[in-house]
Amino acid sequence: MGLDIILLFKYVPNTTTVNVDPNTGTLIREGVPSVVNPHDLVAAEFALKLKEKYGGKIMAMIMAPPSATKGIEYLVGMGIDEGILLTDRVYGGADTLATSYVLSQAIKKVVSHYDLIVAGQETLDSSTAHIGAQVSSWLGIPYVYYVTEAEIQDGHMIVTRQLETYIEKYKVKLPALISVLMHSLQPRDVTLKNKIKAVKEKPIKVYTNNELQLNPLCTGLKGSPTIVAKTEFIGKIPRKMQIMQGKPPEEMVSWLISKLKEEKVI
Amino acid sequence: MEEMNILDQKFDVAVVGAGPAGLAAAYYLAKKGFKTVVLERGREIGSKSIYGGRIYAAPLKEIYPNFNSMPVHRWVKKERISIMPDYESMISIDYQGKDAISFTAYLTEVVKWMGIQAETAGATIITDVPVTNFYRENNKVAGVVSGEDVLRSDVVVDAEGVNRLVLEASGIVKPLKPELVALGVKEVLKGDSKQIEDAFGLSQDEGLAWVFLGAATANVPGGAFLYTNRDSVSLGVVVLLDKAIVNLKDHISQLVESLRTAPALKNYLKNLRISEYSAHLIPEDVWSLRPERLVYDGLLITGDAAGLLLNAGYTYRGVDFAAYSGYLAGKAIESAHAQGDYGAGALSSYEKMLKDSIVIKELNRFRKVHEIMKNNLLFEKYPKIMSGVMKRMFENSDGPSKAWDAINESCKENQYSMLKLLINGYKIVRAL
Repeated sequence: MGLDIILLFKYVPNTTTVNVDPNTGTLIREGVPSVVNPHDLVAAEFALKLKEKYGGKIMAMIMAPPSATKGIEYLVGMGIDEGILLTDRVYGGADTLATSYVLSQAIKKVVSHYDLIVAGQETLDSSTAHIGAQVSSWLGIPYVYYVTEAEIQDGHMIVTRQLETYIEKYKVKLPALISVLMHSLQPRDVTLKNKIKAVKEKPIKVYTNNELQLNPLCTGLKGSPTIVAKTEFIGKIPRKMQIMQGKPPEEMVSWLISKLKEEKVI
Repeated sequence: MEEMNILDQKFDVAVVGAGPAGLAAAYYLAKKGFKTVVLERGREIGSKSIYGGRIYAAPLKEIYPNFNSMPVHRWVKKERISIMPDYESMISIDYQGKDAISFTAYLTEVVKWMGIQAETAGATIITDVPVTNFYRENNKVAGVVSGEDVLRSDVVVDAEGVNRLVLEASGIVKPLKPELVALGVKEVLKGDSKQIEDAFGLSQDEGLAWVFLGAATANVPGGAFLYTNRDSVSLGVVVLLDKAIVNLKDHISQLVESLRTAPALKNYLKNLRISEYSAHLIPEDVWSLRPERLVYDGLLITGDAAGLLLNAGYTYRGVDFAAYSGYLAGKAIESAHAQGDYGAGALSSYEKMLKDSIVIKELNRFRKVHEIMKNNLLFEKYPKIMSGVMKRMFENSDGPSKAWDAINESCKENQYSMLKLLINGYKIVRAL
């Protein structure tokens, strides 16, 4: 058989290196390089493991400005087969509803066949975790999130979902959409072979609204009912670093425990 | 040994590292029709490239006919050297020139520009991929290894920078020792262009290069620098790594912090905000750092990896030398190709061209600097003596002392022989 997998991803500013403007509470994006959302790299690893086990093909899909082709190149460098970039001015300024609308309509219009859609748990820059749920709703397919494992059994997929104190197993019909528990896998590195393929062959298809013909009232800023009223900068949590060294371990441990008790951490 | 996966594609030239040296080589070679690939382990072109803030233009003008589109910030027309006996005071020498030969810029922008030139000329640039070793056929370098993948090429240009992981893996050089390198840390302080011009007395497009000795490095051998960019200032400190390990009490980032908040500097840096912090190793004892040879069968070594960085004691010069060495490596490959041979003999025109170029000529001129730099007196005793001299001359309420008396008294106070001071001063002036 073989699984045809769609990987949904986002290209985000690398926020571990970003400062927040204390006056406006917004991210300072100036000069900040973008990266594939790290939680989507976990999803990519998950998809690649499925492909290794069952065969098939993985296609990465993103709605974003053209600079996101660099993100697709990175994923192809990891071993993803190809990418689709959905880009148009009328898609700009979208909230999650308008984004999921474009993604799901594009899947209907330009993807001939798929068994599984894989997404990351959430994005680094907005953390809504909406897209998976919304795309599956638009497409009318099952959705399981916090997924750590998946295997094919008798034409169905057995999906393991990890919650804080227990795990659940679901038997879902394909096609389905799963979002992968963040940090549950270590994404593989880019390889020279795959990255050369990404750069030289550019297995990337670009679709604009000329091809997709979506109603512009449902996309971008116009199709976005969400209004961000206010963002507030919480500020940094002050750290109280203390160092204890050069004493016998017993003494240092009891010192540590007394300090943690003082701070009401334990 | 791991299983090797030899890729189908083959290039004429593989360049290791997308910094100034690698991109200049790739640009020249691609322009001459060589099928060229540049492999960069960072996420983006130049993401590992860091420098102080100033680039000398002439070598780049020779490499790039379209140099005028280079993202220059300001042309350096003002030079200042300051000796700081402590953070409150300094003795400065100013020079205002007519013709600028160097400019300030963000290296990330310059390297990105060089990347565009290389790609436009036809080179392929592959990021996110670390080269782990050279690939050899019949004892000749014939490509690069990355993990399990082997990419073959007729010849390889090593432009991996000061941290020479590939040259180490291949046994050509030994791992870096602290006494061979300096550590530089730098902050970019942002404002707007008018603020910069007002604070430093500059007109539009005019730049200042300012170096500090003495307290600026907590008296550890090294130097500190300030360069004015378009709407920001690059402020940094460089210290010899082995001396810093022994003498520095605080984290090295504290050195820049102390300099930024120094009373002697605070009026210049008012209302600027920190927008960047970076640190990098710098070749220091370039003569010991240099690989035995810069040319091997199928391999040329360029830029910082080859130790081609000028250490003038109080300032460093590397970006244009790196680019120029990459360019000469390109020329050498072109002539070796014409001979149909990529052996060390055919490639050795690289070493010859380097020797006749500004790069080696300048390196030779400053050859003795490293020895002088290692001398703690220069960074601790002499600034104190000079400050004592100045205090006697300018802060004496009974009226100024005669210069000669002031030097004499200050030497006595610091328990140092005036004769020694004069002899050493002469030596230093000769070496610099």
